[in-house]
Amino acid sequence: MSWIQATIRFLHAWRHPDEIAREVEAELRFHIEMRTRANMEVGMRPDQARLAARQSFGDFDRVKTKCCEISRSLPVNSTVLKMAIYITIAVLAGGAALWAVNMPHHNFAGVLWQLVAIVVLARTFVVGRRAISTKQFAADRASGVYEDKSFRQDKGFSSDVCETHGVGIKAHDEHGRTPVERMFN
Amino acid sequence: MSKSKAGLLQGTLDMLILKALSLGPLHGYGVGQRIAQISDDTLKIEEGSLYPGLYRLERRGWVESEWDVSDNNQRAKFYKLTRAGRKQLIIEEQNWERLAGATMKALRAS
Repeated sequence: MSWIQATIRFLHAWRHPDEIAREVEAELRFHIEMRTRANMEVGMRPDQARLAARQSFGDFDRVKTKCCEISRSLPVNSTVLKMAIYITIAVLAGGAALWAVNMPHHNFAGVLWQLVAIVVLARTFVVGRRAISTKQFAADRASGVYEDKSFRQDKGFSSDVCETHGVGIKAHDEHGRTPVERMFN
Repeated sequence: MSKSKAGLLQGTLDMLILKALSLGPLHGYGVGQRIAQISDDTLKIEEGSLYPGLYRLERRGWVESEWDVSDNNQRAKFYKLTRAGRKQLIIEEQNWERLAGATMKALRAS
């Protein structure tokens, strides 16, 4: 079924952002190579042919970034369906939290298990949040978001800044932590 | 119609990609060439917009891809239409025919 394959590809893109970025780059370079050959066949010199191929392709980095973003986006177009997925995840997480809080605590072992469950849940939340943040950062870096030369020139920023909001704060440190996470850690 | 003036209506790129792939598996460069070929060089796809289009269609499950060796012995990513993509192409063609017919009717009105 095609939607299952699309979902598998989406999960693969999230798990291996570097690999996806390399594949996209190889694919786009193949295109430019083919265009260069075609230009040479009509009589252009190799350097002219390559330059013309790059010009006709347009902004390589932007296309690469766009393709990587599409690979990492949910394989559904419906906003309602996306909301349903997020709500399901939230309900499951909430259910797990309620289960942990309502465990029997009339004896020492019960209280101990409850504390362990709460610590594990809290730890899972922190690690999960950091993993998503790090994964997003790695994916953005791999897809070239931070290498967008026109953006850097326009804004006068060095790489690794928060592009979406155009502020000059480092979006992530070397561990992938956001500024807020850095404040509390 | 002047070839250089032929523009591409928004939303038709997906349909053209699906049509090109309905004729057989192709790599991205080949898709652009096939579209130009079947339109007698009237439609030139902007190369930079072709790949996001292909990735979008793949994400929707209408095309699937695999790496293979091209005619010139280079590794290339080949795309082919899925069953869902074939159905979608029929829907897109019907919509396009309805739109084109209505537009012609409006232009011929006196």
